[in-house]
Amino acid sequence: MPRPAPRRIGSVNGLGCWTLCRRGLLRFWRWSWSSLGGICVSSVLLLAVFTLAAGSQSEMVPGISVGTFVGPGVLFFAIAYTAFESGAVLILEDKIEGTIAEVLMAPLAPLEVTVGFMLPPVVNALAAGLAVFLVTLPFTDYVFADPATTLAFAVLDALVFALAGGLVGLWADKWEHYGAAEAFLMLPLGFLSGSFFDLASLPEPARALVQINPLFHAVNGGRSGLTGFSESSLALGAAFLVCLAVPLALLLWRLVFSGYKVRA
Amino acid sequence: MRPIGYVNWRGLWTLYQKEVRRFLNVFTQTLLAPMVTSLLFLAIFHLAIGGRGREVAGIDFTAFLVPGLIMMSIAQNAFANTSSTLVIAKSQGNIVDLLMPPLSPGELVLGLTGGGVTRGLMVGVLVAAAMWLFLPFGIHQPALVVYHAVMAALMLSLLGTIGGIWAEKYDQIAAVTNFVITPFSFLSGTFYSIERLPPLWQNVAHFNPFFYMIDGFRYGLIGHADASPMLGVVVLAGVDALLAVVVYCMFRTGYRLKS
Repeated sequence: MPRPAPRRIGSVNGLGCWTLCRRGLLRFWRWSWSSLGGICVSSVLLLAVFTLAAGSQSEMVPGISVGTFVGPGVLFFAIAYTAFESGAVLILEDKIEGTIAEVLMAPLAPLEVTVGFMLPPVVNALAAGLAVFLVTLPFTDYVFADPATTLAFAVLDALVFALAGGLVGLWADKWEHYGAAEAFLMLPLGFLSGSFFDLASLPEPARALVQINPLFHAVNGGRSGLTGFSESSLALGAAFLVCLAVPLALLLWRLVFSGYKVRA
Repeated sequence: MRPIGYVNWRGLWTLYQKEVRRFLNVFTQTLLAPMVTSLLFLAIFHLAIGGRGREVAGIDFTAFLVPGLIMMSIAQNAFANTSSTLVIAKSQGNIVDLLMPPLSPGELVLGLTGGGVTRGLMVGVLVAAAMWLFLPFGIHQPALVVYHAVMAALMLSLLGTIGGIWAEKYDQIAAVTNFVITPFSFLSGTFYSIERLPPLWQNVAHFNPFFYMIDGFRYGLIGHADASPMLGVVVLAGVDALLAVVVYCMFRTGYRLKS
């Protein structure tokens, strides 16, 4: 009779990494009612008050109504915000509850831990994006110029902000720290992007500043795919987001590797 | 033992102080963050809508928006203060520290809502001052401004107390905030004049106390109102009195607080 033996782990602990991902996904699934519902309600509200305040016939840029212009902004803001929040909360909750120890004890490489913590927020943010897209559709008048572009920018948007959230979650020691990052980093980035107004309405120094905001490029790419209207080069925007995601991912991986704020 | 008269003044004062210190302790979260958020709202609406010469009922859009945003931050923060203090106390178990001391239901109502009103008004003053720096505005009728600010903060503090007593978990109070308070504070005339609404919804608005608090506050600041300001004064007084009785009865019977 063969003796029980530990499971052999190859160069990648696929089962372990998937288990960690699944845990995050199940956690977001359990919260989905309040978190997705909340982001849907606030997105619809923002879009509704924009449309009502400007007048529904009113055009933001020639040929594009306020709802159609702001719709993609609200959508990509919702994706970014959900990614940031989920990315931070998943790590921070484990740190505060002490359950992070179980992740560190498991036979998982730093890269596997990074993937296990980052995949669920990205998926959650895209799910939120789908929900917000559906509930805001009645306010908009999309021509769906290039849906694949919108999808690609949605993934980049979710990835960049999930990584930023993950870094905040690793850095924060308590909920107040996360709250400060949300109020003083995430919300300003979200509001002062191209989500709600066009570049032409900005005076010069602000116009240049907005273009280093990653959300500007995400919104612009997403809006271009939905409406055909773009304010800046899509290739440049995609390159900007990728060039931001790669160092953020490397930094997060490096910090997980060194046990920053997690291992004594 | 300290003899307690008809009103336990020291107990009431202690509860009030505890409520105020609780939010002052994390003032970046409770005062500065709401201020930044409403400035961001002002910026995006000004850039997207106001800066293009649009007017609401003959008033520049951004000038119309300022009172709405001040009132929205007063309302949301008053609600957040009383609801969070109760839900946190319940889930951490220190609610007994509220129920055991010799404080009558009326004193509990006063102490808790006093904290909420204080936070609402402090946020309101901060938001108003910050917006004034960018967009100086005068005050049309100071007495009405103060009245509506206080009554609105009181109304939302009382609603927050009801929500906090009812909710057992954080996500329940988050749901009330997301699905009730935020929609009401967005859709009750903060961002637009109700003239913009279809006739049916204009009539509905007249049964919405949030509409009167925003409309009356705006009248006090810039002198424009959609409804009669005096009607709003009466409605707010009536709603606040009714809510205060409800909260009093909840503490008196121990609904969801004592088993």
